[in-house]
Parts: sequence; C-alpha cells; structure tokens
Amino acid sequence: MTGLKPEETKQIKGMTLRRDPAREDCFQVVHSDAEMQEWPGMTEISQRQRIHRHMNNETGAIEIAAQCLVDFPEAPWELRMHLARQCWDESRHVAALYQRLREIGGRKGEFPISCFEWCVTCSLDSLAARLALQNRTFEAGELDLLGQLPTKWREIGDERTAEVLESILSDEITHVRFANQWLKLMVREDRRLLLKIAMAVRFLTTVTAALAPQEGQLSPIGLPFEAPQNRITQVNVADRRQADFSDSEIDEYLRQSGFQSIMAASAEG
Amino acid sequence: MSLSVQQRAEFVATFRFIQVFLMETIARWVPQTPEMEVKVLFGRHIWELAQQADSLGKRVYELRAPLQFSLRPVESYVQVLEEFARTETTPQKISGFYDVILPGLAARYRNYLERTDHLLDEPTTRVVEKILNEFQKMIKESETLRKELPQLCLADKNWPAHLAKPEVSVPTIVAHRPSAAIA
Repeated sequence: MTGLKPEETKQIKGMTLRRDPAREDCFQVVHSDAEMQEWPGMTEISQRQRIHRHMNNETGAIEIAAQCLVDFPEAPWELRMHLARQCWDESRHVAALYQRLREIGGRKGEFPISCFEWCVTCSLDSLAARLALQNRTFEAGELDLLGQLPTKWREIGDERTAEVLESILSDEITHVRFANQWLKLMVREDRRLLLKIAMAVRFLTTVTAALAPQEGQLSPIGLPFEAPQNRITQVNVADRRQADFSDSEIDEYLRQSGFQSIMAASAEG
Repeated sequence: MSLSVQQRAEFVATFRFIQVFLMETIARWVPQTPEMEVKVLFGRHIWELAQQADSLGKRVYELRAPLQFSLRPVESYVQVLEEFARTETTPQKISGFYDVILPGLAARYRNYLERTDHLLDEPTTRVVEKILNEFQKMIKESETLRKELPQLCLADKNWPAHLAKPEVSVPTIVAHRPSAAIA
C-alpha cells in the first residue's frame, strides 16, 4: 500500500507487509497470532505470557508512533507533539511491564512475539490511515481489553499488575482521543482521506483473514483455537466515550460486535 | 553588545531546527534498534526533545518570527548532524547522541546565554536553562542504562572523537538571513 522498497517489506501468505522492526536475538519473532503461545487461564505461565505479549505490543506502539514522526514531517506540529508524547507513554508502559515481568519470574524472549500491528499499520502511506488503524482500532480494542483485565489480576491477588494495567488504560484513552479528534479535523479538510481510511480498514480485514488459523489447526501449545465469536471482549463504552467516540460510533461498533442486546438494554435505561 | 531581537530569533529558530532534527533521528532509530531498553530510552527522549522544540518554537514567535519557525543551520553543521544520523550500531548511537551531540549543543546553548541580555531576553534564557537541565537528566539516564547493560558501551573508545572533531570545528551554527527572510 505504500512506496516501500522491497527490502522494507516481507511476504506472508500472499500479503505484502512492512518488514518487522528490529528485535534482540533472544526473541523469536513470528508473523501471526496463530503462531503465538496463548496459555489458558491465569496460571503462572499464563501470567508471564500475558505480560510478555503486552510488553511487546507496547514496544510496537512506541515504534509505530516514532515511525509516524519520521514518515510525516509535514504533519501539523500539534499532532506531532501528540505522537511524541505517545512515544513517551508507550515507553513507560514497556518499562512498567518489563519490571512486572521480572518480578513474577519472567524474562525477555520467554515466549514468541509478533509485530503484526507494526507490519500492517506501517504499510500504510497516510498518517490518517495509520491513526485510524493503530490508535482508533488497535488501541481502542485495548481499551476494551484493559477495561476487564485488572479484575482478572485482582482475582488472583495481584494488585500491582492490576494497577499497572489501569494506568496504561488511562494513557491509552488519550491516544485514542487525539486520533479521533485529529481524524475528524483531517477528514473535514480533505474528504478524500475517507477513502484512504476505508482502504486501510479493508487491508486490515484482508490481512487478518489471510493470517488466521485454518480450521482444525492447533495452537503452538497444542490447544484448539477459540472461535472468533467467543473471543469478543466486552465493549468498554465509558472509556470509548472518554476517548471521543460518538454515541453513534459506539452503537455501530456494538452492532458489529454482536452486542445488540446490550444496546437495547442501554436504550431502555 | 548583546544580541538584537532578530539575532535572537535566528538563534532560537536554529536551535529549534536542531531539536526537531534530533527528535526525528532518534525516532527513526527506535524501530531499527534491537535492544528493548534502548527503544524505551529513545522513546522517553523523543518527548523531551519535542517539548524543548515546542518551547523554542513558541519563544521564536515572541521574537517576531512565525510560530514554531525553524531555521536550517549553516551547511557544515547540517553535515555533522547528517553524519551523526547515519550512525549504525547501538553503542555508537548512544555515545554519539549522549556523549557528543547533546553536550556539543549544550555548549552552544551556554554560549548563547553568555551573549544575550539576561533581562531583555529573559524569556529565552529561561527556556534555554530548562533545556540544559533536561539535557543533563537525559545524559544521566543514558549513563544509568549503560551501567546496567555494559554491552551498550562502546568498545572503540576513540569513536566519539571521530564525531566530536567536526562538531567543535563549526564555530557558529546560525545561517544569518536578511530580516525579510525571518519575519
């Protein structure tokens, strides 16, 4: 989707994506969720794997925001300031998660990692499209996840990890919010960006489908993959509102996620 | 004689150019650098550099230039920056930035403080003094990381001099313009 040089790209299952960012040798970098280890429940190994995965996702978020500063020097300064601030926030998240990982006996490279979000987002050639995917889609999805996770950690008596995740959530709201605000402005000024955004969303859908596990395929730890409809996280309506999603956008998202019944309940008050 | 308003604007706009250049350089390095802890360090300092550039960009407006105005330095200094931006290994990137480029820029900021009128140009001196304090903190953070992870230290102790030599050989970095070009 961009004018990337061949050496900056990789081919995975027929899709051309941006090549992975640099990682230390201790990490095994895989290309899709299907190749990741996902340990069920909240066992010790599952706890370490969850934090390890989150730490790498936050590392990817620093990289994406940083690359946007590099690739779009003509973007308005105020928007670049938001991206620079995001680099700092994501860096603090990585540091906090890495500290927590070591405290519970984990280490860098203990599990495979995937840089899927970088490979998809940084394949896009407009800042609007990247904000639409990284901040408004991936990070907004994280709002939903982080709305639930602290409770899970508290249930096993891990107050510290719950606190870390709650702090991350409040930062992520600001990242989604600035993207929402700037996207509205950018689209108001140039309606053609809507086409770029629509193409980006379609690109993500196509890549996700291409990299999805095949029917009957087992995960790397020998477990069947959970059906997509069972993986849907409860939508974090309150924080999506905080992040400047409009009520109609939240309604539309709930509809797409199969939460019509919640919408009806909420409409009933 | 102290600096005129236009000269101050030129200095501040030049400093802003350098700050933005450095922010973009370490931003480029984040995905290219394998070590996670270094990505974290650079990620933190991207924000420091951006805020410093922002303060300078607001101050330059008060000196009768456009808001967030940047002025490209003299070509010899741009060459130093570009050579630095091409640095490849992680220890060289860290040493080049924290041991050579930031201290070199700090010396230029201190030189500015010596030359400008501290009463008439107090808003700039406050911005610059704050940046100098933040530079010290940034350098200290890099030293702490290098103590924690000795593999990030340079094996070739002479390498910084290779970058420092051309840096100190540029006596002035401001490419003075006719007043119409800045206002």
